[in-house]
Amino acid sequence: MATKKEERQFEKERKAAIKARMAKMKAEGLENYFTPDQIRYNRNQKILGAVWPIFRGLILFGLGFVIMYPLLFMLSTAFRPNDQMTDPSIVWLPKSLTMDNITQTAQVMKVSYWDWGKPLDNTVLNTIVLNVVASVLQVITCSITGYGFARFKFKGKNAFFALVLLMIIVPPQITTIPLYLQYAYFKLFGIIPLYSNGEQLSIINSGLTMYLPAIFANGIKAGLFIYIFRQFFRGLPKELEDAAYLDGCGPFETYVKIMVPNAKTSFLTVFLFSIVWYWNDFYVSSSFFTENRTMALMLKNLDATLQQQLFDGQTVSIRQIIVWLESGCLLAILPILVMYTFLQKYFVEGVERSGLTGM
Amino acid sequence: MNEIENNNTNVEEIEEADNTAVEETANELPPMPETSAPEKYKGIKMSYEKRKAMYGYCFIALWFVGSIYFFVAPLIQSLIYSFHQTKIVQGGMEMTNPGFKNYYNAFRKDQYYVPALTAMIKNTLLNTPLIIVFSVFIAVILNQKFKGRTAARAIFFLPVIIATGPVIDIINGNMSTGGYSGGSEQFSTMFETNLVDDLLNFLGIYNISDKLTDVISTLTSDIMNLVWKCGIQILLFLSALQGIPYSAKEAASMEGATAWEYFWKITVPYISPMLIAALVYTIVDSFVDPGNEVMTLVLNQSKQWEHGYSAALAWAYFLIVGVILGIALLILNRFVYYEVE
Repeated sequence: MATKKEERQFEKERKAAIKARMAKMKAEGLENYFTPDQIRYNRNQKILGAVWPIFRGLILFGLGFVIMYPLLFMLSTAFRPNDQMTDPSIVWLPKSLTMDNITQTAQVMKVSYWDWGKPLDNTVLNTIVLNVVASVLQVITCSITGYGFARFKFKGKNAFFALVLLMIIVPPQITTIPLYLQYAYFKLFGIIPLYSNGEQLSIINSGLTMYLPAIFANGIKAGLFIYIFRQFFRGLPKELEDAAYLDGCGPFETYVKIMVPNAKTSFLTVFLFSIVWYWNDFYVSSSFFTENRTMALMLKNLDATLQQQLFDGQTVSIRQIIVWLESGCLLAILPILVMYTFLQKYFVEGVERSGLTGM
Repeated sequence: MNEIENNNTNVEEIEEADNTAVEETANELPPMPETSAPEKYKGIKMSYEKRKAMYGYCFIALWFVGSIYFFVAPLIQSLIYSFHQTKIVQGGMEMTNPGFKNYYNAFRKDQYYVPALTAMIKNTLLNTPLIIVFSVFIAVILNQKFKGRTAARAIFFLPVIIATGPVIDIINGNMSTGGYSGGSEQFSTMFETNLVDDLLNFLGIYNISDKLTDVISTLTSDIMNLVWKCGIQILLFLSALQGIPYSAKEAASMEGATAWEYFWKITVPYISPMLIAALVYTIVDSFVDPGNEVMTLVLNQSKQWEHGYSAALAWAYFLIVGVILGIALLILNRFVYYEVE
């Protein structure tokens, strides 16, 4: 085997040889070697090869700028002293920088990235625990369900799978109110009242409203995850299972020992997406949480809490509030953004390798 | 055992052969003590197929129980609400006056619902093809090899992680109050000069220019929202593009296909299955977006404790969108190319 350095050397030599041959052909007249059609085709390809990268660069730069624009705005305002918001001479670059907005907003949102002293009172920690637990549960159960759909033949499979598709299509808004009542008067098929001596049990505000659906593969966007796992497991070769069966593995053992190690990237991708969707969710959490704090909820209500706690009834102009709101945004997406920068390749490559291709 | 060496035997036959082998040896040998008997043969005997089906049910059982409790029951419950006048009381929901009154009110008396619905449907019909075309275009570009591709991909997938949350709404709102004109308007000024008009006049076309400028400026003014809605779709198409076998590309370049021909004859057929997935995703996404007008109406009704009416609005909306989705799928399914099957 040639080393990488040698490979590069060979590549260089190959290119030089091709170039020399082309030069020789040109000197003798291209007509002797190619038909007119081929000559035209080659010329067009050459022109396209020279022009297209410039266009591509322009398009990507322009659209990339459009995408980054709101984030640049956020960075520009989050560290700006609020009196500079009304200064017409400042557009993007503030005259001085301040951390006051960030610290004040963090206090109001009860967020702390630097002081881990009071873990129970910290919104970030609360959100992270909620998200990670729910996502882990959801990924495990969704993968089991997806495997069941991908690899077993049983009666009514298509009907069951139609239910999965329905889960994808039906918006959560339709089911929220009945669910709220189910949680507020929690009976679980009439099991709970047998043990609670007639007392009403309510799980509103507790993390259970997130964990319970996740345990039963019904969390946020669970239908989509089941679909992804099904597609992925369908793509794995059937021989794996047969071999495992011959070696005396039962189906559950096969799943744990053979299938899961093969699906590592797929698991990671789904887990990351699950984290992101749980982190960003404010519809479900705002329905079931009135006191439990998540980042998205705190951010959604930031305007009101700022008026209440920070401004103390003083009127602050609508332009000046921006600095605090943007600081809040920065605080809220910081963990996700950090995670994205480090694990970016799994978001992209994971999806490419996972079963999504086979849809 | 000969059967195992034979590649053609399937597992079932091996299983049967196994059984007979065990039985035969059992006849010859003295009976074994019961404790050491292989565990396999305890309990009910089932064929391999049947056993597999049983395991299949086991694998989906957890999800099925969950979806009965967390999905089907609430769904049916809300359908029942939609046919009643509702009132929240201690211990649950009190329902009176069964009938179609809620639906009748929604379509005949509510002055906001029908206009919001038509506006929503019109928007979706206009935006969906745009989003699909745009994300195919970007995916094709991001699939090419060039320097800084990783960085470009990272930027284009950024909306995937941010756009679903409240952050982007707040930033957009702030940009418009801050005089940064909401991004989209900022960009549309680039196209507000009458460049298109001038160009057409230069080419000698006069009459249609006004309409055309209108269309182009509506498209471009929304470019911000367009780009921010495309994250997942780009991801889907990119994964489909990676699935195009290299041999297809090689054959096309051998035959002298231009980039244009290659796109229409190789790329589009190969990514057509994903087209369906992206279409469903786009429609569903715009449908469940809490920011759209109909959803706002639904949520407002439910905030005013009119749960029955709110459920009726949501169900009518859901059925209409379902029908649209069904029609779109039926039409598109004819053009999809599946390599396998």
